[in-house]
Amino acid sequence: MNEPITNLWSVPLLVMIPILTAIVVNLLYNKARAIRVISIGAAIAVLAISVVSPYGFHWFAGHPAVNADGTYTFTASVFSWKLSLEYYYGPLQQILIAVTSLLLLFVVVIATKSLSKNYGPYVAIVFLTYVSAAAVIMTNDFYNLWIAVELGSLLVAGLVASSGTGYAQKAALKYTFFSALAGSGLAISLGLILGITGYANITDAIHFLMTNDLGGMHAVLYVAFAFLALAWVYAGGLIPVHPLKSDVYRSAFPHATVLLQAQSKLMLVAIGIVLLRMFGALPFAREVMLSISVLTMIIGIVMALIQTDFRWTLAYIIVSHSGLVTVGLSLGTYKGIVGGLFQAVNDIIYMSILLLCCEMLLYFGKGTSIKFNGGIAKKSPWLAAFVILGTFAASGIPPFNGFQSELIIIQAALEQSLPEVAAVVLMVSISTFIALFRAVYSIFLKPGEDHPVRQSEAKRFEIPTTVFVFLSVLLAISFVLGVYPQLALGFLTESALKVVFVPWVP
Amino acid sequence: MIEVSLQLLGFIAATILVVVGIAGMLFLDNLIKKLIAFTLLSDGVNLALVSLGYVQGGIVPILEPGASISEFPNSAALIFGPGIVLTNIVIGVSTTAILAALIVALYKRCGSLKASKVLKGERE
Repeated sequence: MNEPITNLWSVPLLVMIPILTAIVVNLLYNKARAIRVISIGAAIAVLAISVVSPYGFHWFAGHPAVNADGTYTFTASVFSWKLSLEYYYGPLQQILIAVTSLLLLFVVVIATKSLSKNYGPYVAIVFLTYVSAAAVIMTNDFYNLWIAVELGSLLVAGLVASSGTGYAQKAALKYTFFSALAGSGLAISLGLILGITGYANITDAIHFLMTNDLGGMHAVLYVAFAFLALAWVYAGGLIPVHPLKSDVYRSAFPHATVLLQAQSKLMLVAIGIVLLRMFGALPFAREVMLSISVLTMIIGIVMALIQTDFRWTLAYIIVSHSGLVTVGLSLGTYKGIVGGLFQAVNDIIYMSILLLCCEMLLYFGKGTSIKFNGGIAKKSPWLAAFVILGTFAASGIPPFNGFQSELIIIQAALEQSLPEVAAVVLMVSISTFIALFRAVYSIFLKPGEDHPVRQSEAKRFEIPTTVFVFLSVLLAISFVLGVYPQLALGFLTESALKVVFVPWVP
Repeated sequence: MIEVSLQLLGFIAATILVVVGIAGMLFLDNLIKKLIAFTLLSDGVNLALVSLGYVQGGIVPILEPGASISEFPNSAALIFGPGIVLTNIVIGVSTTAILAALIVALYKRCGSLKASKVLKGERE
């Protein structure tokens, strides 16, 4: 495919600024004030760039298209390039990267405030995790996709291991061992697609598949699909990888899990869309994706229901709701894809609210066990209010954002004559409420210690102002998107239309 | 005598390495042996990718001065395979380093290299 040049300056900055920041803060090591200033400045910069950047392509490598007679297709006035390694920045990329950038800012502020020493390397890993998420959603070639997924999985291990507990190190080791398998699979998939089509660019590869007879190569295409689907399952924590991913979510600091779950959603969306664009027309491909998604939803929520720790409950709900995102995508229809993408945006937001509330419980020193807590609502009524409203959003209760996206997914499933899928989505929604409210009741609402709250103790249970502001912002976004869903849908519809009708266009 | 292409031999060797690597990672109990199995898997993938770019009687994919542009694409070996391999070697080294660091940390904590003992999933 040949496309006019729109080599945007702003798009690589979304990757380069965090990488440079990671290098600098890593070198600064324990100079707390400098790390704090630089990292917060960088986070604000990428947030601003993601909001103001125009849409278009950025080529890292490419070459002029050569005609069959050896002449070049471009003239001095009109450039035309054969695509190769490129990023595409469109409305979908903008909303997902902007939301992730906002979370990066929150995470950096919390990390630089709460961790008192040797945190340069930790903040560096936080920034690089953001890079992997931003890169994976922008890329339109298999090479960058592979690099972003591999980089992302190693960073997940680093972020988890940073929490320093034995359980976290075990979770990181198990996750990295599996990443070795999935990453190798992704490399083989890339090699097979390259072998079949001769292109690393996704647009070029799809164009080749649509205009050439593959003959006996269909079996190879299925193998490539299988390996890419393995990477999708691994990066997003779908079944059968859900135990590893839930370990990861549970073991990291809750503020780090905010970024980890956002990274997972972006990877699910990015690889899911590539699977649909490239293999959507293959018989059984979408059915396989849908089956994995539905099973992930069911197993995730069942596991969440039996947990006795708030962090574990959240970890499994994140897994279950990842299935909710991919169910929408796997339906493959315009409405289904819009629902899946909207669910990804919403899920990132309301899960961040709940995870930050979880961070506050640890900050108060009360732990997150359902069995040994109680009465926190009396000591910290604001935190109780945030966690209850976050629970409503996650359970799909209006007027919060979760309701709108789940409604679209249910409608899409019914339009596809799949009432059983709609029923499962509904069941997951109700079960999410039960699992979360059980934990919230036990920790916040159930009567705790009998003695009245002392003045000194009341101070200890105050939410820090920064976290209060972050929670308020996220809750406000959740509410606004619940009342005015078109604000987000405007960013998502174009991508869904392209996937369904012109899959070669990123 | 059966003529076997170099490409096919490459794929066969790669498959053996990948299978041995995966089996080692799944079934060996020693964490260091699992790590070595991962390097075998990674090497197998690299060999498969290099073999993918092989062209019978092909030329090195560098366009020499005076060479025909129209013939070059048909005779040159596929350059992307070795390019990916270079990246995969870097990724492999990074993964090995992280795995080794985690294994050392867990060995210090648990005093064992047995996966069945070290990775026992008690919750904290």
